[in-house]
Amino acid sequence: MRICCGLTRHLELARRPDLYGRPVIVGRWDEHVVAASEETLPFGVTPGMAMRQAEHLCPQATFVLPDEEATDRICELISAALYDLAPVVQVRVEGIAWLDTSGVVAAGTSIRDARHLLLKAIGREPRLGLAPGPFSARLAAARARPGHLLRVADAREFLAPLPSRELPLDAEQLERLDLLGLRTLGAVAAIGPRELESQLGRDGRHAVLLARGLEPDQLDAWRPPLFTSAHRQFEEPVDDREALLFVARGLCSDLADELGLRGAGAKQVRVRLELESAAPETRESVVRHPLSSTAELFGLIGAWIKEWLPRAPITELWIELPVLEGAGRRQLRLWAGGDGSSEEVTAALERLQERFGEEVISGSPHSWGGGGAAAAMSTR
Amino acid sequence: MQEVALESAINSIRVRFGSQALTRAAALPPPQPWSSGTAVDRLTGIGGLPKGRLSLLTGSGTSGKLSVALSLLARATHEFAHAMVIDGGGFDPWMLTSYSPEPGALTVVRAPAPEVAGEAAAMLARAGAGFILLLGEVPEHWLGPLESGANRSGTVLVGVVDAPDRALAHASSFSLGFARQDWIWERGQLVGLRVTARCVKNRVAPPLGETELEIRYPLGTQTLTDHRIQVTEVVQELEPCASAVV
Repeated sequence: MRICCGLTRHLELARRPDLYGRPVIVGRWDEHVVAASEETLPFGVTPGMAMRQAEHLCPQATFVLPDEEATDRICELISAALYDLAPVVQVRVEGIAWLDTSGVVAAGTSIRDARHLLLKAIGREPRLGLAPGPFSARLAAARARPGHLLRVADAREFLAPLPSRELPLDAEQLERLDLLGLRTLGAVAAIGPRELESQLGRDGRHAVLLARGLEPDQLDAWRPPLFTSAHRQFEEPVDDREALLFVARGLCSDLADELGLRGAGAKQVRVRLELESAAPETRESVVRHPLSSTAELFGLIGAWIKEWLPRAPITELWIELPVLEGAGRRQLRLWAGGDGSSEEVTAALERLQERFGEEVISGSPHSWGGGGAAAAMSTR
Repeated sequence: MQEVALESAINSIRVRFGSQALTRAAALPPPQPWSSGTAVDRLTGIGGLPKGRLSLLTGSGTSGKLSVALSLLARATHEFAHAMVIDGGGFDPWMLTSYSPEPGALTVVRAPAPEVAGEAAAMLARAGAGFILLLGEVPEHWLGPLESGANRSGTVLVGVVDAPDRALAHASSFSLGFARQDWIWERGQLVGLRVTARCVKNRVAPPLGETELEIRYPLGTQTLTDHRIQVTEVVQELEPCASAVV
């Protein structure tokens, strides 16, 4: 397993790029600090401390209310973008992004692209670490220079000199470790898991495994949502087909962008017309080959609209994609050849066979032995 | 007022025929090269065959164009998920085995008529096949869909014809003419040929003159790339010259 970790700013701070370079503290009044910019560190402000205390330490800071919804949205967008680069990704609002590059054909390119994506999304060069697991990768990234990658070959050797405070334990447990004289991860790794378990409970065992570089934690892989839709409400009811086609194309383009970001394709398409003085009209279809581009979506939906005869002027147009296909197959940039449209090509070959007969398509001489084109195509 | 009418007309065309049907020149991307690792790359002027465009290899029989095309095809099978041959007749897939292709990526479309070849090529280019080798002519009315399909998907299109008709020549963005200089004999055995490859049309870069290639026929298990290709620079009076190794 090779995990790449990108460390950047807390996503709450990424919401306000206009405040970059200034001390910023994010949190609700009478609660705790959610995030604080690097500029507040010299004043002793740290996430988790009381807001009143943070204000006392750094009164000149700009105080911003957190917006969990917006942060989650940014997190989702970054996850979707990174998902194009590696099959397993995880992004946390704290500004940590992990990519599992195991099995990725061009891992170096994926890491480079991940750096550019994070820079574009956050506005700051991320620190990058590449290590056998998420924990060591995060610690490696924390020690890398901005925009640079720190590679770790032997996790245990790399972790040994680092302070035990890096372990995911609460303050009381960390203090206990300190009292036990276990001040480095090397010291923690040297004692048995059972010994530390007897002191700290299950967290102690977990800590020993982490300190030994055994990486007991797996990434919580992001998966694209399985439903998406777009709609447009008209100010004046519409009965002009050209206008409806124009709007439908725009919606298809929006959906295609979203599908592309998520690396997904639609297996089912539904169009719903809300009418001015009649019940809504709906048309839907399950498609054989997933649709993901504007042309594919509009090819189907445009054909429906061209022959649709609504009973009344249309007040709202909905395009829904209730079933998206398993996204792993649509991670286009993971294709070695870079022409990631295998399914469309296979579909085109099948259409050619339907039109001109099976014998019109054949594979290479090596695949001619049994089954001809069907065998050749099924192996692909 | 005129601008509003023009914008309305543009929108109408896009609604009817798709967003790609009408593109402003400023929004057109520059041609992207596919580096094939052959002498052809140098002659294109952009470091590789242009993606999304039609490239032609022309010349009379036994001028070496098919050998170069097959080496391009073999290379494409390693680099693309789908390398297609649209065979208008006369393509023997066993010819390719000497060039060490990746069999899983190769598909041959047997086109009994030019019409089928045109439709298959256009359909596969639109679907986004990485590389398409056209052996034979394509009917004129399929050239438009073929060009636009390849342009949208970035397919590398290579056509091999003895002498292209006017429509095919016009549709191509890059055309390389082959002419045999002489045969190569070793110990009384024919082992290859010496050819001149000349850029006769280039829409993606200034024409880069010509080069001489020594093409060795694959013998036994050896492939074309196992042989050292002799290169001779040819000084041109009007155009800059290029030298390269297949």
